[in-house]
Amino acid sequence: MSLQRRETKLAFWFLLPVAVVLLGVVAYPFFFNVYISLTNWNMFHFRDPHLIGLRHYLRLFAESDFWMIFGKTFLWTAVNLVFHFTLGLGAALLLNRKLPGRSIYRALLILPWAVPQYISALTWRGMFNSEYGAVNLILAKLGWLGLGPLSWFGGEWSAFSAAVITNIWLGFPFIMVIALGGLQSIPQELYEAARIDGAGPVRRFFSITLPMLKPVLMPALILGTIWTFNNLNVIWLVTDQGLPADKSHILVTYVYKAAFFYYRYGYAAAFSVFIFLVLLLIVQGYNKAAKAGEAY
Amino acid sequence: MSGHSTTRATRPLGQRLGRAWTQVWVHVLVWAFVLFAVFPVLQIVGISLRPGDQLYSTELSIIPDNATLDAYRIMFTEKPFMLWMRNSVIVAVGTAVIGVALASLGGFAISRYRFIGRGAALQGILMTQMFPATMLLLPLYLMMRKLHLVDTLGGVMVAYVATALPFCVWTMKGYYDTIPVDLNEAALIDGCSPFQAFVRVTLPLSAPALVITGLFSFMTGWSEFMVARVLLTSQELATLPLGLESLFTTYQTEWANYAAGSLLVSLPVVVLFLVLNRFLVSGLTLGSVKG
Amino acid sequence: MALVLPLVLGSCGRIDRSRSVVVWEQMDPKEQEQFDLHLAAFRLAHPEFAEFDIHRVHYRTEDLRTQYQTAALAYGGPNLVYGPADQIGPFSIMGLLLPVEELLPRTEIDRFDPVTLPILDGHVYGLPDQVGNHLTLVANLALVDEVAADTDTWLEQLRETTLDTDGDGRADQYGLVFNLLEPFWLIPWLGGYGGWVMNDQAQPTLDTPAMVGALDFLSGLKQEGLVPRECDYPLADTIFKEGRAAYIVNGPWSWEAYREAGLEIALAPLPMVTSTGLWPSPMTAAKCYSVNRYLDPETRECTAALLAWLTSTEVQVELAMTLSVLPADREARLRPEIQSDPTLDASRAQIEKGRLMPIVPEMRAMWDAMRPGYQGVMNGDLTSSEAARRMQTKAVGDIERMRE
Repeated sequence: MSLQRRETKLAFWFLLPVAVVLLGVVAYPFFFNVYISLTNWNMFHFRDPHLIGLRHYLRLFAESDFWMIFGKTFLWTAVNLVFHFTLGLGAALLLNRKLPGRSIYRALLILPWAVPQYISALTWRGMFNSEYGAVNLILAKLGWLGLGPLSWFGGEWSAFSAAVITNIWLGFPFIMVIALGGLQSIPQELYEAARIDGAGPVRRFFSITLPMLKPVLMPALILGTIWTFNNLNVIWLVTDQGLPADKSHILVTYVYKAAFFYYRYGYAAAFSVFIFLVLLLIVQGYNKAAKAGEAY
Repeated sequence: MSGHSTTRATRPLGQRLGRAWTQVWVHVLVWAFVLFAVFPVLQIVGISLRPGDQLYSTELSIIPDNATLDAYRIMFTEKPFMLWMRNSVIVAVGTAVIGVALASLGGFAISRYRFIGRGAALQGILMTQMFPATMLLLPLYLMMRKLHLVDTLGGVMVAYVATALPFCVWTMKGYYDTIPVDLNEAALIDGCSPFQAFVRVTLPLSAPALVITGLFSFMTGWSEFMVARVLLTSQELATLPLGLESLFTTYQTEWANYAAGSLLVSLPVVVLFLVLNRFLVSGLTLGSVKG
Repeated sequence: MALVLPLVLGSCGRIDRSRSVVVWEQMDPKEQEQFDLHLAAFRLAHPEFAEFDIHRVHYRTEDLRTQYQTAALAYGGPNLVYGPADQIGPFSIMGLLLPVEELLPRTEIDRFDPVTLPILDGHVYGLPDQVGNHLTLVANLALVDEVAADTDTWLEQLRETTLDTDGDGRADQYGLVFNLLEPFWLIPWLGGYGGWVMNDQAQPTLDTPAMVGALDFLSGLKQEGLVPRECDYPLADTIFKEGRAAYIVNGPWSWEAYREAGLEIALAPLPMVTSTGLWPSPMTAAKCYSVNRYLDPETRECTAALLAWLTSTEVQVELAMTLSVLPADREARLRPEIQSDPTLDASRAQIEKGRLMPIVPEMRAMWDAMRPGYQGVMNGDLTSSEAARRMQTKAVGDIERMRE
């Protein structure tokens, strides 16, 4: 048997359990949604929906705020990722050094991940309150820096920023843990050799650390993109269902509303399929970029 | 022949000052991070100590004037907190064990073996995460019902494993990619079967990845709410997130209890991390390939 | 092998549907206490149902709705579902509820005030155990001597009690606090200026002079600084509990908590709008037990008996006394203890001026249509007339889309 055939057999057995679980749990719901996206299933056709073809999909693009919400989702995802990674990586680099009490620091920095998201989001919401919130009180004290208190939930973009800040707080520990793990596999000799060659810390970071972290950080980046894109909870909780005046929606919160507030299941399903396709395209984009850099 | 092999005591003053300066900055940054991470949590502590179920306060103090530990007492005596804990432990540990087991095998296969359909498998695994979860819940419930897995801890575990697997498989694969193949070959030459080689050589070397995978799967099972809400209805099976939710009502939420409960829920995670932290230390792959 | 384990663990915990009667609810802690008491009494009084496992499962209102839909869609779910009457509209249209008259004799249904019964298409889809949920004026007697009866007097008082004692530009005491974000708090004033959310054909009537008047009134309060700049429910609750507000507008579920916080409060109907001579009409809602169409046939009898028990005259009297709501049962209303309780009196005074919340599914669209406009006006982003117009457009549009 050729090597490839033999490896295929082995791979099959190793992967079988994974495939069973994933296909079992996800495949049926996925195809269910594709099916109902083509029907007129809603409150008034609850027990007897019938096929209407692609009407929902066409309706999607006609939605008045569609492009705004679409754009916002991208912005939301991009900003969050940038900060998650810089802060997470930064924290990991700092806490990889020999510091007294390093474990304590690591444990403290993990708190945003460990505390249940619901109460954290609500607490942040309270901190952004324009009169009594901690954020504005602190900003007022820092007035000499040229900053001042803001009416966070009074404006579209400030509310958006409040949600982003909260999500950054919630998400960076995760990247920190992954980066910490990845840093362990970088042999110290490489750094020594580089130091001998006269490379400064910045050069060492970009030539050694970053490339060696890539295989470990890639899953986090790709999946982080997908998760952030589809993150319903944080925006919902921090802006209280889309404050102000329904302007803080991203695609998924919109889907949630359509399905569970208006009972427009068929429409929500079509919307979800659309989100899926968008993410598929984004990931394809990542793949092309990654292939341009290195082999998988 | 380098200027860096001198001992510490004889390093030039400029360099020593430079090092000290770096240390100062490192500490400043670390403390900035800690402050950022911990401040909101202190607020939550404040809520848990405040009598009268007040989510907000007009004071900035963390410890209110009439602080009380009542909320913590209530969580243990008047609420079935230990029951919730038991259920959550079963679900989270189960998810972690199964998740790590499946992911380490699957990730290894994708990393090492060049098989037909490899690329498709990778992409396929990823695709299962892309669909918004909200719309998956309804058919998931219908399906679980048919399988008689509704209102069972097992059903919930299966759902969680499916949620956690993509990340875990990808992470293990990524980590395996950095482990040199020679080690495996050496073991095979020594007479181990592929599986033995895997268990004896590769697994220990991938400890940090196992930590990440295990922690992630654990967290998925520990703090997830939506799926648990849909699949579990019996009071006896409520997990911690569900238990905490029961403290909510339309307007009169038991905020102090909820805050106390949330902090109690976070403790095991922090403890777990501290325990696993030992493995997030470098030196495990050192020296094993030379020779 | 690792996969077998969860399935083994998984088999523990399944309930036998034919031997259990489940009630899903979204009750406040006090209501939950009451429920448990009455359930215990039911079990004593009905030993014939001893083999059934009867219990309640608590959900938040949002979740209750979505969970019930999901479960009933799969022909599962609880025997009874308890919640505000407006969830009944969508459920009944989706065919998920069993009309009560198919379970209980007509006599059981006739003892209710017909206005409180959720009736759609000629069928009764639930039995209420209370009428309440009405927003009322709550005054902190430490800051206010006499509760204002009309808005002009009220505004005077609000101006007097909004104080900035330490001169830092921020008020330390407010005349009034209430949830500035939810249109539920806008509704009473809409009535006070002569309007309502919909007409008899369930069509939205949001673009009216009454709406403009109500919006102007409320945004005026904010512009004058008589209410905090950003105030959601928990914040209003906190400020009032801290004794830093003279008045709060809140419902019966909250009154006891204020007393427990040590405040001496007075309850009164929201003040009459001086310019129109009309009293504000907060929405009143009945909370009902509805029956799942797909309940297990072997549990029908027990379910019926439980339903009758939980909404019986006796139970309603007790609920009224402990929760400060009004009974929906006519006989219960006539009881002397109900007639003479001062809190219930105040409650009744407000309810009489209130209006029942419509239970048709279009109501959902109303809330969502009103919220952005309301928040926009309070933020200063929209004028009242512009907001009213947008509310109407959105409501009409959303309803159309719901119906397609």
